[in-house]
Amino acid sequence: MNILIIEDESRIAHRLERMTNEFFANKKTNITICDSLQKGVEEIANQLPDLLLLDLNLNGDNGFEVLEQMVAASFHTVIVSANTDKAIIAFAYGVLDFVPKPFDQERLFKALTRFVSPVLKQDEGIKYLVVKRAGQVRLVSIAEVIYIKGAGIYTELHLKNGQKELHDKSLEHLQQLLPHTFERIHRSYLVNFEQVEKIFINPGTRYSALLKTGEILPVGRSRYKELKNKII
Amino acid sequence: MHNLIFLLTLLSLLSSPIIRNEDPVPVYKTGDDMAWAAKNYNDKDWSEKRGNTSDHIFWSRTHLDLGKVENDLKPLGLQIESFGSFEVYWDGVLIGKNGQLPKDGKPEQPGTESSYYRIPNHLISPGLHTIAMRSSQSMHPNVQRSIGFKINNYATLLTKPLVTMSYMNLMAGAFLIAAVYYFFIYLNSKRKQRDILIFATICLLFFALLIMEYLKFHVVIPYSEFFIRLEIIGWLTFINALLVPWYFIIQFNFRKEKWLMAALLVTLLLMYWLNYGHYDLTARLYSLAMLIAAFIVVLNGIIEKEKGGFIAMLALVASALVNKFVVYDYGLFISFTIIVLSMLYIHSIRASVIEAEHQDAVLLSSRLQLELLKKNIQPHFLRNTLISMMDWVEESPKEGARFIQALAAEFDIMNEISEQTLIPITKELELCRQHLSVMGFRKEINYRWEETGIDETQLIPPAIIHTLLENGITHSEPLPGNTVTFVLHYFLSKESHQYIFETIAQNREIMTGRTGGNGFKYIKARLTESYGQNWKFESSFTRTGWKSTIQILR
Repeated sequence: MNILIIEDESRIAHRLERMTNEFFANKKTNITICDSLQKGVEEIANQLPDLLLLDLNLNGDNGFEVLEQMVAASFHTVIVSANTDKAIIAFAYGVLDFVPKPFDQERLFKALTRFVSPVLKQDEGIKYLVVKRAGQVRLVSIAEVIYIKGAGIYTELHLKNGQKELHDKSLEHLQQLLPHTFERIHRSYLVNFEQVEKIFINPGTRYSALLKTGEILPVGRSRYKELKNKII
Repeated sequence: MHNLIFLLTLLSLLSSPIIRNEDPVPVYKTGDDMAWAAKNYNDKDWSEKRGNTSDHIFWSRTHLDLGKVENDLKPLGLQIESFGSFEVYWDGVLIGKNGQLPKDGKPEQPGTESSYYRIPNHLISPGLHTIAMRSSQSMHPNVQRSIGFKINNYATLLTKPLVTMSYMNLMAGAFLIAAVYYFFIYLNSKRKQRDILIFATICLLFFALLIMEYLKFHVVIPYSEFFIRLEIIGWLTFINALLVPWYFIIQFNFRKEKWLMAALLVTLLLMYWLNYGHYDLTARLYSLAMLIAAFIVVLNGIIEKEKGGFIAMLALVASALVNKFVVYDYGLFISFTIIVLSMLYIHSIRASVIEAEHQDAVLLSSRLQLELLKKNIQPHFLRNTLISMMDWVEESPKEGARFIQALAAEFDIMNEISEQTLIPITKELELCRQHLSVMGFRKEINYRWEETGIDETQLIPPAIIHTLLENGITHSEPLPGNTVTFVLHYFLSKESHQYIFETIAQNREIMTGRTGGNGFKYIKARLTESYGQNWKFESSFTRTGWKSTIQILR
């Protein structure tokens, strides 16, 4: 597993490294430390990490412009910052967690646990999904998303206006970020449950969900029962 | 009040004269003969010139042509303006004396310049009348002064100058209070402002001028001392003619102050010297010179868009008009009053400007104070420091303790300097070294601090070098060997104190829009707070890192 730490204070960077190593004691982890955004971005272009631990205020650089780029990428981002007032905005952009400085081992482990176990969701609300199109980042409001379809290493966001957007994050990663209203109805589908009209059985015991838009999506056999309960 | 005086002046000009012949000319004869008092004595061979009468007795005879006298003007009074001691005979009847003529070897007791007599009611028929005066003028035997006559209702003659004087004294009182008030302001103010002192002096001199001008109505001045008063009035006008333009020069920031003042002084002295003895003329010329000088300054002020310029110009124009069209006695005072009032107004404008500036300065100072205090509690500094500290304590408690001590020391110094606008350079350097020590623990970079030529007696606004240091730490990458070096040089030249702060390291590349720039703003605001406009600040990258120059002009 590749973990990238972007942090300009050597002491803090090594603290993060030490604790992360401790957390992933059993797994083989490869941790890289960059002391500037510039170097961090280069490193990412070089090799995509699985997890990014990012300080927002580095050497006077405003990390938020970079944050947009990061959250649009396939990997998860955890912010480690002294600017606690930026936490809400960071969550709105879709970071996995915001660890305020000063932090202890317990707090960092909580963030890392969130990373390894998809079930755990954050309490703070994500408001946008950041998508990259032709090199430009665009904010897509969560309320606009009807359902998300897994498409190879990408995901497709299907929006209320009928348009589709590609996202770099996997369905699993997005599910971690999105609120509880988004249900995994199928291996390849994550649906905003408020958009589901009804669930029905097709001939041949195949399950389907009818959306308010009239679209029909397949429902996984294993999920049917749980969903049926939820809808009633 | 001005209107009233103006009206009085007009009235006195308009009312029909009782004496019909203009400028009655007295004729003189040295010697003493009581027959010369008679109304119809033949004085054809008498001279119109008195000559030097030494301490002898001489006579003068003047023929007045009286018009018809209305009943309400009776009893009539006669005012004589003349030097010497004399007895006055109206148509041969003695109606009074002024002073004491020399008698039996006793010297003359001088009379006063202006004296009043009642004319007997039965001797005021229309037609010619004779005023014969048995006189001596031993104090100023050479001074040739004509004799002035004025006839009016006796009570009016006596009270009119007093009425005028009462108004003038009212004005004088106002100026006296203004003078005292502004002297007190000057004495009690920390900033000894020249313009306030000048203004107070102008008010005081003007008060003195008014008092001197009307002194003759309540103090009996022997004619022998007559010129002293005029001389004093002349000099008071002289000084005011210097001070008024000077005041405007200060208020309107006139640049060629010395030239104008020198020119004015020379002009005034020339006027004094060329017209010595012509007191009224000299005073008029003085005030003309004053108006012209003030006009130049105020005009320049208007061009330079100084506040209050138009008001001052208006006052000067009004003053010039009054000076031209109102008789001197009042004219001078009215025109002066207008100018002083405009000065008072300008002063109040300036005071409000200064007050606003002061408030701004206080606000700026407290804002800077806050900013300084915030340096150590702003989250980026505090939280990053705390987490590093946590790490040190967990890893190596001993080092952790040293770290905490370094931070405590930096806080102590910050606390000590936060309320000051200037601190000893040694304190600032100590602060920088403590900060470096703290940052060394955090960044684990080998920070080096060097200083050259520091003059330990110098003062400097708090935390400005510290701010440069913070910038240096933030924007530098260490050189091989993990070192960043900071050097502070101090140079003293004829024009300035100069601090050069160098960061020797590799500059980090700028990646995104900076939220920074606040550091420079802080430095500039601090320099302005303490040195006004007299400083320069430059900051730019160099081949070896970064270089900032602070110049404080001497």
